[in-house]
Amino acid sequence: MIALTLAAMAVLVFASRYLFLEPRLPLELGPKLRRLMGYATPAVLSAVIAPMVLIHQGQLNTDWQNPYLLGAIAAVLIMLISKNTLLSTVLSMLIFVALKFWLFA
Amino acid sequence: MHSKQREIWRGTLAMTPLSIAVAPWGFLVGAYALEVGLSPLEAQSLSLFVFAGTSQLVALGLMQAQAGFVAIMLTTLLITSRHLLYSMALRDKISPLPARWRYGLGFLLTDELFVHTPSNDGKPLNQWYALGAGLSFYIAWNLATLLGIVAGSAIPNLTELGLEFAVVATFTAMLVPMIRSLAIACCCATASTVAVGTAMLNWQAGLLLAILAGMVAGYLWEQASEYLQLKGPAAKSSAAEEPQ
Repeated sequence: MIALTLAAMAVLVFASRYLFLEPRLPLELGPKLRRLMGYATPAVLSAVIAPMVLIHQGQLNTDWQNPYLLGAIAAVLIMLISKNTLLSTVLSMLIFVALKFWLFA
Repeated sequence: MHSKQREIWRGTLAMTPLSIAVAPWGFLVGAYALEVGLSPLEAQSLSLFVFAGTSQLVALGLMQAQAGFVAIMLTTLLITSRHLLYSMALRDKISPLPARWRYGLGFLLTDELFVHTPSNDGKPLNQWYALGAGLSFYIAWNLATLLGIVAGSAIPNLTELGLEFAVVATFTAMLVPMIRSLAIACCCATASTVAVGTAMLNWQAGLLLAILAGMVAGYLWEQASEYLQLKGPAAKSSAAEEPQ
C-alpha cells in the first residue's frame, strides 16, 4: 500500500511539473484560471506555516512564549531587513532552538 | 564542453543557499518517514522519486493520521497544482528541447528551481545552468533525507527536536518576498486563518480548503481593486467637469 501511494504521488507530482512542457499539448489554461493559479504558491506556503506556528497539541497557542511564533516573526523580520534567504533560515532556526530548549525549557 | 561545465557549476553555486537551507527539512522528512512506519528504502524512495518537500511532509502527516489513499492523492494534487503554473511559464523555453531535457528539467522543476529560472527575460534558457541548479538541489535533498534516515533509525524521537521549524523557516523566507500586493497579503491572511481554524477542528481536508480559500480571496481582491481603479479615474474626471 505504501509503495502504491509513493508511486501514485510520484506520477502526480511529475505530471504537474511536466504537463505544459509537452509540445504536443495544445491546451492552455484560460486567463481567469491562470490568475487564480497565481495565488497558489503564497496560499500553499501560508496554509502550511500558520498551523505549524499556532497549533500545538490541537490547541491554539498565541502565548508570547511560543517559540514557533517568535521564530516565525524573527524569520519575517530578518528576511525583510536582509533579503537573504540563507541568513534568515539559519538565524531564525537558531533563535527557535535557543528559545525552545534553553530560554523557555 | 568547457562552457557546459561552467554553466552547470554556475547553476550549482546559485542554488547553494537554498540547498543548505533545505537540509534540516530533508533530514526531517527522512526521520519522520521512519516514525510514520515507512522502511528506510521507502523513506529514501519518497525523496528519490517524488522529490517534493511539501507534498512529502504533508503526505507523511496524513499517513500518520491514518488518512485514506484518496485523501492523500487529493491533497497531493492540490499541493502540487502550483507546478502547473511553473511548467506553463517555462513552456516556451523548455518545450522545444529534446525529450530527455524536457523530462529531466520537468522532474527537477521545484519551487526552488523555478525561482532560479527566469521565464520572461526574452533570452533562451541555458539548459546546463538549469540542470546544475536543479540537479545539485536534488542531490542535496536526497543526502539530507539519507542523513535523516540514518540518524532517525539510531536515535528515537528525533522528530520531537523541533526540526519541523525548518519548514517554517524555509517557507517564510520564500513567502516574504512574494507578498508584493494587497491581494497576495489577503490571500495569505485568508489561507492562514482557514488553515488554523480547520486544524483546530481537526478536519482532514483543512489544508486543501485553506489553499482554495486563499486563492479565491486573493483573486477576488484583485478583481475588486481593478474594478474600483477602473471606476476611480472616471468618477474623478466627471467630478472635475462639474464646476464648469
